[in-house]
Amino acid sequence: MSKIISIHSFRGGTGKSNTTANISALLAMDGARVGVVDTDIASPGIHVLFNLDESEMVHSLNDYLWGKCGIEEAAHDVTGHVGGEIKGQIFLIPSSIKPGEIARILREGYDVGLLNDGFRDVVEKLKLDYLLIDTHPGLNEETLLSIAISNALVIILRPDSQDYQGTAVTVDVAKKLDVPKMLMLVNKVPTQFDFDDVRARVEQTYDATVGAVLPHSDEMMTLASSGIFSIRFPDHVVTQGLRNLVDQLK
Amino acid sequence: MSDIRYQTAIRELEASSEDLRPSDVILLSEPLRSALNFVIRLGRFSLTEFAEKMPFTRDETKHIADLLVARNLFTAMDYSTAEETYYESRLTAMTRPLKRPPTDIWKKADLD
Repeated sequence: MSKIISIHSFRGGTGKSNTTANISALLAMDGARVGVVDTDIASPGIHVLFNLDESEMVHSLNDYLWGKCGIEEAAHDVTGHVGGEIKGQIFLIPSSIKPGEIARILREGYDVGLLNDGFRDVVEKLKLDYLLIDTHPGLNEETLLSIAISNALVIILRPDSQDYQGTAVTVDVAKKLDVPKMLMLVNKVPTQFDFDDVRARVEQTYDATVGAVLPHSDEMMTLASSGIFSIRFPDHVVTQGLRNLVDQLK
Repeated sequence: MSDIRYQTAIRELEASSEDLRPSDVILLSEPLRSALNFVIRLGRFSLTEFAEKMPFTRDETKHIADLLVARNLFTAMDYSTAEETYYESRLTAMTRPLKRPPTDIWKKADLD
């Protein structure tokens, strides 16, 4: 049975897109058919991680929301773009990077019900094992929809007071939406921190399972979203942490 | 107990005629909220499956389902029979244009 997984954070810059891309790659390396939707229409970016150039985008999520195409027509097979030994497939539904199209969709708005329909349709039409939703940070109707229809939710936070406070709101909402599986991911943790202590603090604060505590990584910063970290650095401690997270999501 | 919770559910659903949005669902009382969370994830389900999630009679659950159809969260499917009604759930909401900041969602997020 297909699984829909949302990757969310209350604040921006926590590593949602990188985490989503890495989860998709690790699942696909194990043979899964994985779809990824960039629902961060205001600031799309995950396509960069998959090396999908704007010139290659035949259709985008925006086109689907405007009724110009079916959702499956906006799905780009990026399996061959990412390198590595991928036994499965990765399909990316990008959001448009054209400033005019971003401005238009924000100005006019759209019915999030179309996202609801699209997610279900793309799972069926592409026979996906997993659909990963890279969400916009913070709470809005779109992110609530994503959480409401998801079988699993990864909430990302950094060990930062602003993140801690805002994440409490997200966790509370997720619990009210009865998400079947919710995992916290503490990201970009300074290496001098006690990781066990960080895990314990987060689990106690939110009464939620921590899926992984990932260290800040100079290699990740240097890679600078030019590729998928777990493929470039398969033996890195961050990749190991992501693999543990993926095992808990399966 | 069941009667009070049933009346509360009816009152909440009749309080507005607008489409139910994702932010509305989290404010609904139990057991309606959890039952909706379940069937929204299913996507397509029967009245029986919906009724199993709430401590109400089948007729009471059907009345609730009718209200949810009126608020566009449920759609009754053509292949429903006299014995069983089948539904599809669809959360819907218009996103906010830039000129109107989404202030009311933050009022709703004040869950205390």
